[in-house]
Amino acid sequence: MTWLKLVEGYMPMQMISELAGSILVFALVNWALNRAGMGIPKFWAGVGVWIYIQLYLKYRIYPPIPFSVRAIYGTVSGCGIFMWVSGSEGEWQEFKRPILNVMDGISGFHKGMRTAALIVIPLALGGFAYSSFLPSFEEPIELRTVHPAPPATTKVHGRTFVLQVVENPYRVNNDGKYDQAFTDARIVEQAMGRLMKDVNDPNYNPWDPNAEGYIKYVREGGEIFFQNCHFCHGDNLNGRGLWAYAFNPIPANFTDAGTIAQLQETFVFWRVSKGGIGLPGEGFPWASVMPPWEQHLTVDEIWKVVMFEYWHTGYYPRTWD
Amino acid sequence: MGRLKSRQAGKKFLAVTGLFAMGVMLLLPIFVALPALAGGAPAAGGPPPDVVAAQEAEGVEGEEVKVEIGRDVYYKTEGPAVGAPAPKTADTEEFYPRYNFESRVLLWVANQQHLYYGSFVLAVPIFCMCIEFAGLVSKDKAMAKKYDQLAYDFVKISLTAYSLTAILGGILIFTFLTLYPAFFGYLSSIFRPVMHIYALMFVAESGTLYIYYYGWDKMKDGLLKWLHCSMSVVLNVIGTVLMFLANSWIGFMMSPAGVDEQGRYLGNIWHVIHTALWNPLNVHRILGNMAFGGGVVAAYAAYRFLSAKNDEERAHFDWMGYIAMSLGVAFLIPLPFAGYWLMREVYAYRQQMGITLMGGLLAWLFIIQATMIGILFLTTNYYLWQALGRMTGGERFQRYIKYFVFILVVGLLVFITPHTIVMTPAELKAMGGQQHPVLGNYGVMSAKNGGINAIIMTTIASFIWYQRGNRVPAVKWAKFGNIFLITFFVVAHLNNIWVACYGYFIPANVRIGLSVPQVAGTLSCLFFGSALNLAMLSKSRELGPIRWGQIAPRSQYALIMLATAFTWMMGLMGYIRSSVRLFWHVNEIMRDNSPWAYTHTIGFGANVISFNVLFFWITILFVFWLGALGAKKAPVPATQPVPGAAPQPATGH
Repeated sequence: MTWLKLVEGYMPMQMISELAGSILVFALVNWALNRAGMGIPKFWAGVGVWIYIQLYLKYRIYPPIPFSVRAIYGTVSGCGIFMWVSGSEGEWQEFKRPILNVMDGISGFHKGMRTAALIVIPLALGGFAYSSFLPSFEEPIELRTVHPAPPATTKVHGRTFVLQVVENPYRVNNDGKYDQAFTDARIVEQAMGRLMKDVNDPNYNPWDPNAEGYIKYVREGGEIFFQNCHFCHGDNLNGRGLWAYAFNPIPANFTDAGTIAQLQETFVFWRVSKGGIGLPGEGFPWASVMPPWEQHLTVDEIWKVVMFEYWHTGYYPRTWD
Repeated sequence: MGRLKSRQAGKKFLAVTGLFAMGVMLLLPIFVALPALAGGAPAAGGPPPDVVAAQEAEGVEGEEVKVEIGRDVYYKTEGPAVGAPAPKTADTEEFYPRYNFESRVLLWVANQQHLYYGSFVLAVPIFCMCIEFAGLVSKDKAMAKKYDQLAYDFVKISLTAYSLTAILGGILIFTFLTLYPAFFGYLSSIFRPVMHIYALMFVAESGTLYIYYYGWDKMKDGLLKWLHCSMSVVLNVIGTVLMFLANSWIGFMMSPAGVDEQGRYLGNIWHVIHTALWNPLNVHRILGNMAFGGGVVAAYAAYRFLSAKNDEERAHFDWMGYIAMSLGVAFLIPLPFAGYWLMREVYAYRQQMGITLMGGLLAWLFIIQATMIGILFLTTNYYLWQALGRMTGGERFQRYIKYFVFILVVGLLVFITPHTIVMTPAELKAMGGQQHPVLGNYGVMSAKNGGINAIIMTTIASFIWYQRGNRVPAVKWAKFGNIFLITFFVVAHLNNIWVACYGYFIPANVRIGLSVPQVAGTLSCLFFGSALNLAMLSKSRELGPIRWGQIAPRSQYALIMLATAFTWMMGLMGYIRSSVRLFWHVNEIMRDNSPWAYTHTIGFGANVISFNVLFFWITILFVFWLGALGAKKAPVPATQPVPGAAPQPATGH
């Protein structure tokens, strides 16, 4: 259902709003049918809403949601529907009635349903058991730790950096002092796409010939990025570079709120310096082919490229208040 | 007549004096210990006798022993290194004697069982105190008697559990001594100044508890009743101090202080106790114990309700379950905030520890925890909606349940969406990366705060419904009050959603601060909303009685589920807290070199937690059975309306 667009930047709220809207429509339709004396039985209303939610999650949201998450959502929505249909005694009785009718076999039709259920349910369970024992050629699931805890210190080019306190030397204001608020005010804007605040202002456009200080260092970081990193992490820093799909998993998407946006700058410095090979034991199964960039870049170049990544994505590095 | 009165007065005086003397004697250990603590307890934590003997053999006898100065790893102050360094262990029988079984799991089970019972016996006296006090101030004689009986029932259950706690404590110490002697020896040497205070506090706790329980009938009237109630305060003070001391051990293991880099004690026991995580651990544990205790008592009541033979019993245990659940949930509501504070302090103490917990190795366990929290809140709401069914007039709220369900489900879905998704490599490729562009946004804190606050606010609204179940406000400003109350909740929800979205567009350090307006909104709903509702109900029209005992059995299963979820979550959080030390006995001071210094798989951990939960419930059923053996029945007529008002959450009714 990709014709109805999920708008970047608004997707999470869009999903909730769409679900809320459709539930509201159901409620209104049900109300209208009830008024007309054709109300949907509670049992079918509950089952229908649950099936709708599963179909919505499977076919409306793209890229596809992994099964584990759909299973969680399915269970929670199932519990919610149970709470709704059994919230009051009257509703619970109404919900149970078709099930009890079938179990009691109150008519020929219900007896037929009961017989069918007695055949279908064991067969379905047997089928499930059989298929779960069939050999699978899929790679096994790996619970990968995406953000393993960094060490307290890291040594790069002979210098020891204490990750909890060290600061990016290029994140400075016009006086050359470390100033995150100053630099935060100069990153691109996150709106419908990512845009510089003022392309004609050397304070905001790193490629302006008059750009100085922080914004100039961003440009230098960008040059390093496009010489070394964009092949995998992509022109838009979204992990969709030319070589991205040669790897499994594909490279990190920096534009996602769950990657660099929630990490300290020093964490990124450490990961860039040490690469996949430098992941700690906690980072099992060490599924990262990123080279240890300390073998190719200087300390200054690493700091600058990290700063560029934050600037370009419009995110702020995490800090401690 | 006059002589009789004066003899009675004399008896009373003697009783009061005796009680006072007993209280002083029970608290004596604390007073005796205070000067030693104030003086810094110079001998405390010094080298063990064998080390001293070795030093003497090396010829330092008679010479002035030169004491090295060490630097506190946390406080950065300097002090004489009077303690022995932390042992450097190896994987040998000497340091880690073992059976043909994983020692860590044995210790885990012993520790968890002791903790379950410890929490229960610390929480229940707090309930007793509240309920006895409620009975004491109640103007309604019948209600006062009911409250008093309920408090007595509570303490009776806890008395049996108290013996089990002591037995399990003994088992725990033996397990430590036999399986981890080097580690236990080191920890005991560090905490030596307070070890005996800890033990003596148990004596004081037991003494007070026995007087409190056995003196119940003797001290049932007048001043003596007040004294009896005050004794529950003393009991709880002692219990709380006990728990704080026990917490200082785990606080030290996670965030050591008062020792130098080698782990040598520097002579200041307060530094050892007052570590970086001690305060948040204390607050979190008090609230957690209370919620857990409420859950267990509610399950007891549900068990008795379901097995009740007549309407009177059903009415009594329905009421008891409601009170216990209300108390438990009253402490559950602030629990996430205390947890948030604890995590914040963990991050502030060690960034790696915080990331390991919430973003790294143990992150999936936090998703399970979020699921359990969700279950707790959903079950609470469900119970309250069922409880509306036993009130005349309650049905007018039930038609809106579906809207509450929607908010709760959406809040929970956001709250439990994992940041690190479990998926097959094929799914990973189809998704195009580790993070899902839509759901990835639910995986971070900004959205999760919004989710849990929405759930809590909805729960508060359910409580307000319940308070109004069979009553209609009759104050003059009722219409205005209703509009105001609804608007207040709507604005609080909108504020919550807005802040959760806005959090994505600002720096992380500012975002952390955004949780303040969210929490403020929720707490305002809790305090202001409830207070306003109570004020509106101060003059109310009753639609009919509460039909105690006529609640759907589903509600009682909900109570049992609530208690099981509490127990499981407690086991889980204890495991997470302990696992975060990874391969350290004492973080960065004493390394764990046993063969079990690795993190278990999630499945194995979950199985052990489930075993612990099952074991606890089997043994507590035995305690319940004992409680029921000698139970005095305190029947409540099934049709008797609760005098005065509909039950209020947390404060009883």
